[in-house]
Amino acid sequence: MSKRPVPTGRLRRRLTIAFVLVAGIASGALALGSFLLVRQARLSDSLDAAKAEARFDLVLAPGLIQISPQNLLGSFRQNRVNIVLVTRGGALPSNSNFNPPIPRGLRSLVGSGQLAYQRVMDGRRHLLVIGGLIPGSKDELYFVFPEDRIQRDLAQLRNILLVGWGVVVILAGLVGRLLARRTLDPVAKASQAARSMAEGILATRLPVTKQDEFGAWAASFNEMAEALEAKIAALQEAQARERRFTSDVSHELRTPLTALVGEASLLAENLERMPPEVRRPAELLIQDVARLRRLVDELMEISRFDAGRESIQVDSVDLMALIQAAVRARGWDQQVEVSGEDVALRSDRRRLERIVANLMGNALEHGGGRCRVSVGINGQRAFVEVTDRGQGIPSEHLPHLFDRFFKADPSRRGTGSGLGLAIAMENARLLGGDIEVWSEVGTGTRFTLLLPVMESLPGRAPAVSPQHESEAP
Amino acid sequence: MDERVLLVEDDASIREVAAMGLKQAGFRVTTAVDGRDGLMRALQEPVDVVILDVMLPSLDGFEVCREIRKQSRVPILMLTARTDTVDVVVGLESGADDYVTKPFEMPELVARVRAVLRRSSSQPEETTVSVGGLELDPASFIATKDGRELSLTATEFRLLLEMARRPGQVFTREMLLDRVWNYDYLGDSRLVDVAIQRLRAKVEDDPAHPRVITTVRGVGYRLERR
Repeated sequence: MSKRPVPTGRLRRRLTIAFVLVAGIASGALALGSFLLVRQARLSDSLDAAKAEARFDLVLAPGLIQISPQNLLGSFRQNRVNIVLVTRGGALPSNSNFNPPIPRGLRSLVGSGQLAYQRVMDGRRHLLVIGGLIPGSKDELYFVFPEDRIQRDLAQLRNILLVGWGVVVILAGLVGRLLARRTLDPVAKASQAARSMAEGILATRLPVTKQDEFGAWAASFNEMAEALEAKIAALQEAQARERRFTSDVSHELRTPLTALVGEASLLAENLERMPPEVRRPAELLIQDVARLRRLVDELMEISRFDAGRESIQVDSVDLMALIQAAVRARGWDQQVEVSGEDVALRSDRRRLERIVANLMGNALEHGGGRCRVSVGINGQRAFVEVTDRGQGIPSEHLPHLFDRFFKADPSRRGTGSGLGLAIAMENARLLGGDIEVWSEVGTGTRFTLLLPVMESLPGRAPAVSPQHESEAP
Repeated sequence: MDERVLLVEDDASIREVAAMGLKQAGFRVTTAVDGRDGLMRALQEPVDVVILDVMLPSLDGFEVCREIRKQSRVPILMLTARTDTVDVVVGLESGADDYVTKPFEMPELVARVRAVLRRSSSQPEETTVSVGGLELDPASFIATKDGRELSLTATEFRLLLEMARRPGQVFTREMLLDRVWNYDYLGDSRLVDVAIQRLRAKVEDDPAHPRVITTVRGVGYRLERR
């Protein structure tokens, strides 16, 4: 894994945390349970022993106390049994070291004639106090058993368990991290593979090494990749076939078209001499040949774009001069009004001419026979706006305007092939530009050609030597 | 008039209509159906201009053009398919003077034929132009450099003459297209570039580092005064 594809690693962290939590809770519960069990056992053992001792001693007590309470205390002291004798006169301990205050609750239980116990703390010592009435008297006898050892053992056990639990948790964290990484490794690889497929490397495959769920997943990923690759190849092949067909058709049409165009041009030169009944058909023939020619030209151009065979020839261009020349060359001086500032840029002169002429031609055809062209620079981009006051284009047609063979009104027999705007757009894109359209029904339409400006000079394009007057020796 | 045009075109309809158009315009037309026949006629018959289709059986238009150029500087007009911009450049590099893209209208073809003929017709009233070691005689169409004769086609001669008349001046491609090729509007400026390259190959001592015809970046070309 040379490169972490998912830098956050959140899933890995979450997996690790979950692993640690499970291990921590399980081992914690186990440790706590065993601690409680041991504690319970030790304490009840101690209590049972204490109870047996207390019962036995209580049976002996009446005999001993009959002589004197001191006798009782002395006897127990000798036997190392710590007692506290509570008589009407007060509390007398057999060993002043074991003289805890007797809790009131215990005394009232003992007072009612029961054998009762309570664990108390005297200073820092853990004591078990069991009390009972000395048979045949109202005197209470309390036996005090130290439980320090038990408590020390339990504390030790608790510490051992705590440390053990901590070690388990840390180990679980490490193991969990390792496991999470190993588990998620295939995911990281898969996402890397998916990304490289997205980048177009369709031959990307995942290694199927293990016979587990990830192995199966990798295999199905590979199946998907194969299917995708095959599908894309088929699509590309189909597209290439279609493009070849378009290209072949337009090529095959060219030869008869060349003959037709030549013949039509000869007819055109001799229209005057034709008898009236053939003259009109001849005129129509000439027109239709021109239409066919435009269509074939544009088909060929489109197929060149599709083949990626179009190249651009960059030159210094004075945009304003180019547009004015294009208008003059087509005899549109009366219909097209050009305004704006001089813009110098580096671009392909012929393609620019083609785009602008197409936009103007369109505007004149659909925009009521007149249009306005304005030229300028807006930030980093030069623009050419072609505005007409025609009937406008309904907004639902706007997104398809640059589609091939799209005609807003199919019933209307326009002179265009339906490829003009598509070609203009291809040309604009080739020049690093774009064409935008704005239109409102009833108001008019505005096409805006946007071009990158690499070189923007105030005024004219690079200085050109003055045109010289005439051919002279 | 009465200039002789050799039309080499394999498609019968195009051949017939082009021949008819040229005849109506006052030319004398002979035709050839394939490259070999065309080459033979171009070299053996008196011809003032050759119109060559690119796609020809037996010997393609470029080959025919190169073969003709080895022996003759008769003006050559290529008929190319617009689809292949490569055609244009290859055609010009093989020595054609100009090209017309298919499909074309008759007046267009006739105009281009007249333009190449005008370039190759001598103008006896003009005097010899000399710049540096170059001498150009418009009457005889002979160009020499340091006394050595250069074999230039009519178009190359015209191009050199145009620039030699005003040495030191920068000519834009458009100006040269207009003056040499008689394109009044938006011709293909590659015509100029290719012709300049061919011209340099004949005029310069080291065509890779031109010193006679220099490029003015972004503007055009200039013939140095020296």
